[in-house]
This record gives sequence, C-alpha cells and structure tokens, in this order.
Amino acid sequence: MQPNFSLIFFTTLAGMAQGLIISIALLNFRSSLLPGEFLAWLALPVALALLVISLLASFFHLGHPERAWRAMLMWRTSWLSREVLVLPLFIAVTGLAWLFALNQQQSTWLWLALIILAIALWVCTAQIYQCIRFIQEWANPLTLVNFMALGLTSGWLLFASLIAIWPTVLPSFEPSLLAGFGFILLFACLNIKLWIWRRNQRLKPISNLNSATGIKNPQLRQTSMGLMGGSFNTREFFHQQSNLVISNLRKIIFFNAYFIPMIALAYAISTQSYGWIIAAFMIHCSGLIAERWMFFAEANHPQNLYYQRVS
Amino acid sequence: MKTNKQLALVIDLNVCVGCHACVTSCKEWNTQGSAGPLNDLHAYGENPTGTFFNRVQTYEAGSFPKMETVHFPKSCLHCEDPPCVPVCPTGASYKRAEDGIVLVDYDKCIGCKYCAWACPYGARELDEERQVMTKCTLCVDRIYSETLPESERKPACVLACPTSARIFGDVHDPLSEASIAIKERGGYSLMPEWETRPANQYLPRSIMDTIQAVMDEN
Repeated sequence: MQPNFSLIFFTTLAGMAQGLIISIALLNFRSSLLPGEFLAWLALPVALALLVISLLASFFHLGHPERAWRAMLMWRTSWLSREVLVLPLFIAVTGLAWLFALNQQQSTWLWLALIILAIALWVCTAQIYQCIRFIQEWANPLTLVNFMALGLTSGWLLFASLIAIWPTVLPSFEPSLLAGFGFILLFACLNIKLWIWRRNQRLKPISNLNSATGIKNPQLRQTSMGLMGGSFNTREFFHQQSNLVISNLRKIIFFNAYFIPMIALAYAISTQSYGWIIAAFMIHCSGLIAERWMFFAEANHPQNLYYQRVS
Repeated sequence: MKTNKQLALVIDLNVCVGCHACVTSCKEWNTQGSAGPLNDLHAYGENPTGTFFNRVQTYEAGSFPKMETVHFPKSCLHCEDPPCVPVCPTGASYKRAEDGIVLVDYDKCIGCKYCAWACPYGARELDEERQVMTKCTLCVDRIYSETLPESERKPACVLACPTSARIFGDVHDPLSEASIAIKERGGYSLMPEWETRPANQYLPRSIMDTIQAVMDEN
C-alpha cells in the first residue's frame, strides 16, 4: 500500500495520547499518585492537544472532509465508522477529566471510562486494518497487539518526559523507575515487531495470478495492465520504493524506534538522569513514524496482481 | 423490494480480441451519464491518467510454441457478498436489493478510499478531480432507460463489443443467456478464495482445444 502521512500521524499521535492517558489513569485510579497541578497544567492538556491534532490529521486523507460527519452513520457494519464515534467521545471525556483536574477534583469513574475508551479506540483502529481478510500482513491479531504495545510505550515515554520537565521534583517517580518501566515496554514492543516481521516474511500469498485471472496455465504473465500513464490502482496500492530503501528503513526502525531508545533508557537508569529519558522519547518518536510508514508499505494488496506490466 | 435478481456480465475469453472498444464506450457513456464526469488528468501530457470503470488487460500463458495471448477485460464484479459495502462508514457504497448492482452514492461519499482497500480486485477508482469513489454501474442509467430504444437498454460495453464477448443478464434466472453460458461453458469467478461470490463470471478459453480437435480429425 502507499503510506499516507495523514493516517501515519493520526495512528501514532492518537496512540501516544491513549498510552499517556492510560498511564496517568492507572497511576491515579486508586490513590492520587500524581499531583492535581501536574494533571491540570501538563499531562491532560498535552493528551488533549495530541488527540485534537490527530483528529485534524485524520481529515487530510479524506476527499470530502466537509462530509466527515456522515462517517458516524454505519457503525453497525464499519469499524471506521465505530472509530469515528469513539474518538470524539474519548476527546470529550478527556476534556471532562481536564475540567475536573482544573477544579482540583478527580473521579475514579472518569479514569475508568478513559481506560475503557482508550482500549476501545485501539480496537477500532486496529480492526479497520485487521478486518481486511485478503491483506494477509494485516489480517492478524498482531496488528492490534502492535498498535496497543507501541501506543502504551510511546505514551509512557511521553509521560516520563513530562515528569522530567515538571519543575517540582516528584519523589515517587525516580528516573530509574520511569526508565526501567519504559525499557521493559520497549523490549516487549521490539519482540512483537520482530515476530510480525518474521511472520510477514513467511507469509505465502493466498491469491496468485492464476486465481486472479482464472487462467489455469502455470506459466502465466501479464503483458499489459491496460493503461500506460498510471491509475488510482497503481498509485494507491504500491509504495513505489526500491528494495534498498525498504531494507534501510527497516534498519532505521530497528535502531530509532527500539534499540537506541533502549540504550538511552539504560543510561537514564545508570546515571539517574531525566535528560536521557527525554532523548529516548524523541528518538523513539522518529522511529515510530518510520514504523507506521512501514506498516502500510509492507501490506501487499491482491489487486496488485492485476497491475504488473505497463507496455 | 427484495427480489432474487442479480444482473451481471459474463465475459467470453475465447473471443475477446483486446480492442478496448468496451473501455472507450464505457468512458464515453459514463462520463456524460449519471455516474460522470470521469475526469482525466494531464490528458495531453506525458503520463495521462484518468478514471475508467473498465480496463482490458493482456496475459501470456504457456511458452513457445504452445502459448496463448489472453485479453482480459476487468471491471467491478458486482459480488453477491461485496466486501466493499459493509466497510463504508457513510453508507455511500451499497448493493441494490432489486437487481444486485453495487453502486456509490457520490453525494454521500467522503473519499476515504476504504472501500477500494477492501476490494481484492481493484475494481474501484477514485476520481482525482471529484474526490469520490467511482466504479462500474452496469450502466444503470441505460438499462432502465425509458427513452432509449429497447435494443439499446444494455450496458455500453456490451453494445460496443465487436465480437460479442460480453453477455449481459440476470445470473439468477436459469433461463437467461448469461446463466446458460455459465452453465454450459464452465463459467468461473475470479479469486474464489475470498468468498466474495462475484456475480460477473468468465468463460474459459477452450478455442485452442477446439482447433486441436478439428486438426486431429483431419
């Protein structure tokens, strides 16, 4: 597929906000571990801003954004429609939690609602891709697992960075604790990604040129796709990059999204410094965008069988 | 109104000569019909590109000297279980209960392209200028026309085909020309593995076997 930056920014930024909100909701669920000022003036506004930016980003992949409200109608059958319902609800409840925090209040019910909505949004987002049964790279529960794991990790790293820049020192959140937990999450994410890459490598395409055309001869090739100047089919479903670019990008993803941030977090643990946590978060973000680009690029659509040769 | 009707095309790969008359007649009718316009970009530039509901592709099977060139027209298959319809978030993409034609309501389409992702055949094309999803309508504005002569109430591609490679009809009516062709000449669906149950079917090439049989007889 052709990666689309609107969807890349939507899924990464919303995922990060979901991870951040789950982090603060879990920490404040039973007892208020985080001070009200931190929630009211930093954590919740940042989460809210990320969600609003991601919502705005999602509009850019639409041909007719002014009709976007119509996308709420088909929630009975479409995961995209369900996502379009859950996202504004999630933003509204986050806004409500922010209002509560501004008034020095917290509600267990609100935190519970936020946790449920964050998970619901992940399920909707992942199902949009996962439910397309013939895109074999996506049609697997690992799509949801990967979205959730990376969302939780980037959200936790953002949370740790916010603690780091908060002017008052919070004694219960030492750098080693924040970085240590981030390290464990990143390690889990890396294993999930390697698992997905291994699975993708071993996938055997269910459709082939014989099943696509019904011509039984095993020696079958296309000599003309029926057009010369490209079409929607050649633009939307191919990433148009060379194998070299793809394999280099895989290395960048491995190092930037996972490996270098893990080393930075290890430094943060050993030196007890918040600075390395912020560095880890920044590098992870660059890798995360590359990871999401690759998520789209490595999906092979069976329609591509029909678009092999120009002549 | 739920009926058991399913309009469709049956494409005979024995006689398709790859002339693209169905492609151009489709574009001509539909760009000015209720489904249009079907816009072109850089029509006189180096890489002209545009919206088409129908494409004719060419495949080569076998190796010399036993090889065949197969021209392969490809358009929306009007699946009986269309995967593009339930994913549409607005309801713009729908399958008509009365005759099984899969259509797009251009006034409701938000251009999210999700239906195109959900079609394994690549049958849908986004019109770059109108920014809505478009696809074959089986010339729904021709086949029910009350002003056209009755003999012309067929899809434009069917009327244009010089070799009658395209048979139009109700594939649920066992007595229709389309159903009989499927039954008697081994009609098959594309990518049966995804269980979309395409209404359009293809008649496999048997012409080489026929020629061989005649040669063997002599």
